[in-house]
Amino acid sequence: MSETVQTAEAEESAETRSSASTEDLLVQEGDIAGDYLEQLLDVLDYDGDIDLDVEAGRAIVSIDGGEELEKLVGPRGTVLEALQELTRLAVQQETGTRSRLMLDIAQWREGRRTELKELGKSAAEKVLSTGEKVRLHPMTPFERKVVHDAVAAVKGTYSESEGEEPQRRVVVFRES
Amino acid sequence: MSLLADALEHLVRGIVDHPDDVRVTLVTTRRGRTLEVHVHPDDLGKVIGRGGRTATALRTVMAGIGGRGVRVDVVDTDR
Repeated sequence: MSETVQTAEAEESAETRSSASTEDLLVQEGDIAGDYLEQLLDVLDYDGDIDLDVEAGRAIVSIDGGEELEKLVGPRGTVLEALQELTRLAVQQETGTRSRLMLDIAQWREGRRTELKELGKSAAEKVLSTGEKVRLHPMTPFERKVVHDAVAAVKGTYSESEGEEPQRRVVVFRES
Repeated sequence: MSLLADALEHLVRGIVDHPDDVRVTLVTTRRGRTLEVHVHPDDLGKVIGRGGRTATALRTVMAGIGGRGVRVDVVDTDR
């Protein structure tokens, strides 16, 4: 008897979940991530404001504040990537679905994005003028995506990724 | 130092099925300091991750917040 009731409840909650819009899920992802990170800042006694947003179909969590936040970015953003990975797992633990949440700290991604756009553009221009392919240094998936987009904006060139993580890198070619 | 243990404990608690069973202890041996992570046996896989990916992420974050040179060990309690 009690089993029947539980099953009915489980079905109902499954239905509620599927009817909830993606937007609601993304907002929920942001909330869970915000709590997880806020408590981390508390433990570490770091100053930081957490901003939640939903953009292009994913939750965005940005932390801005004191200088010690640089430690959570780390060399070439490695700590930031690791913390993003853990935050996604914490979200998945609560929602039961894989998260594509993006974490940014101290606007590192914004700054890096600007640098990488420049790098992609100048590599593509070099390839155009010399005809020789250019291999860039190893990058994270986020960094490679920014470079691919910048190369795609330069007519007559294209790019591919080669190698295995963490040595995977972008190679820029001239269209034949 | 207990700050590192507290931070690690918080990070691990958020990603497991049995958060109340998470314990992090700092152990000092001749080889240096180690943060030992104890979790419910069913959560071992989660904390280690595929190919050790999650454990690596935990180590990277700990190194970032000042735990460079401190080992992070996920303890298999069945041992």
